[in-house]
Amino acid sequence: MARSQVAPPEDPALRERFEREVLPLLPNLYGAALRMTRNPQDAEDLVQETYLRAYRGFAGFQEGTNLRAWVYRILTNTFINSYRKKQREPVTVPDDDTADWYLYDKLGGSNVEASAESEVLEKIPDEDVQRALEDLPDGFRMAVLLADVEGFSYKEIAEILDVPIGTVMSRLHRGRKALQKALWETVRERGLVTN
Amino acid sequence: MLKQIELYLDGELVGSLRVEIERHLGGCHPCSGHADFQRKLKEVLRSKCGCREVPADVLERVRTLLERQPDPTA
Repeated sequence: MARSQVAPPEDPALRERFEREVLPLLPNLYGAALRMTRNPQDAEDLVQETYLRAYRGFAGFQEGTNLRAWVYRILTNTFINSYRKKQREPVTVPDDDTADWYLYDKLGGSNVEASAESEVLEKIPDEDVQRALEDLPDGFRMAVLLADVEGFSYKEIAEILDVPIGTVMSRLHRGRKALQKALWETVRERGLVTN
Repeated sequence: MLKQIELYLDGELVGSLRVEIERHLGGCHPCSGHADFQRKLKEVLRSKCGCREVPADVLERVRTLLERQPDPTA
């Protein structure tokens, strides 16, 4: 005799908790999704899919672990599985001999006033900074996005991207160098310095 | 040293290493100039690449999507 399977009981408290703790992450998740997919329609689809997966898997979330990192892991996995395949792009940045502090050195070597380097950064239009970040290959873009925009620690990023901490550090280091090169191009093209 | 400063700025140094870098930055003008600039770069990335406002309809659609789901199972 086949025993009918009894579905586990639904839990309204879980829904409430999800709405209270996960829904408020939407602005950050949407911002990250924009930088990942590079367009608003895909970003919205990615965020919706992420919320659906997070909601369905919420009962499996381990109490006492990092909820924000858990949700970002779903976001990045969904992105990698659903969107990355569509895009053909380089998977790495050159590990060249670009100086570690490329942009600062360049700005210091141009005709900007001493200590005015930081002010030049403020003048770069938002869209240009966003494009510089978006142009980084996925692995590097995600590392810089998670560290510098979202403020995650190396350990959290390693968990989110499922890579060793050493990989996080190397992607951050090289990604930031590539980003600074791109920003320097922008600074020159926009005529924010004269040299 | 620059590698250590990157770790320091990322909040990844603790204890005596952190103190050591702080002391060094206090007395080394070139390094503190680099560090200030990198700190500023992180700030600019955060303020220019973060999302200030989610379009209202995006929030609405996520809410609607969740409302249509049964409660999560315990």
